[in-house]
Amino acid sequence: MTRVPIEPMGSTVRKTDSGAGRVLVAVYGIFALAATARASVQLLTKFEQAPLAYLLSALAGVIYIVATITLARGTRASRRLALIAIIIELIGVVSVGTLSILYPEAFPRATVWSSYGIGYGFVPLVLPIVGLAWLWRTRPVNPQ
Amino acid sequence: MIDALAYVVIALAGAATIWGLVTAVANKPPGKAQLLFAAGVEVVTVAQSIIAAAKLAAGFRPVELATTIGYLIGIVILIPIAWFWANVERNRFSGIVLAVAALAVLAMTLRLLVLWTPAG
Repeated sequence: MTRVPIEPMGSTVRKTDSGAGRVLVAVYGIFALAATARASVQLLTKFEQAPLAYLLSALAGVIYIVATITLARGTRASRRLALIAIIIELIGVVSVGTLSILYPEAFPRATVWSSYGIGYGFVPLVLPIVGLAWLWRTRPVNPQ
Repeated sequence: MIDALAYVVIALAGAATIWGLVTAVANKPPGKAQLLFAAGVEVVTVAQSIIAAAKLAAGFRPVELATTIGYLIGIVILIPIAWFWANVERNRFSGIVLAVAALAVLAMTLRLLVLWTPAG
């Protein structure tokens, strides 16, 4: 195993952008790009067709951007922001996923989070869970 | 877009994905050949987007123009960014980063094949 050396005792912050974290940042980056681009097209060209769905797409895009940047920075302050973004993301995908199945008429156009992200291979559902697990794994050893 | 070229991109991106996963399982960073291969995938992808842009400029109109343009731009920026990101810290995860980008290029090219339909 070539584990990235974790700083020994007394270290405060373990890097969220190291080792497997680089893959997590890469996947978040792709979803930031996908969700933001999708929302921009939707909002600019056909906002009136499904305002709720398109605004949710935009929200998802913003959350993915925040998560990507904060996980890539990996400082103590950015970890906190990442945690908030990922919790909102988890709530978003679970609630939009559930609502889009219960009330499909409220979501006439798909968002990244519709049906738990079925259009993206359910990655949007798995991603926040992996993100939270990663923040936990890299949590500060010695909180002041 | 040229359909045949799209299938070439899909095949190459698929190979790059598997290659990235193989080196990750073998616990090795991506080797020189692998990085050159990723660059090759990028070259073919760029060629595809340039051809598509030329066809758009010549008057071809797909059903969802804005989405199509977004995808054509998206597929060319993924591998360079992943390349950079994979090389900053070189280990088994570099290969997975390349694999993720290649898989995204594959998926987006599949989607482009569907999007590239003339508007009614």
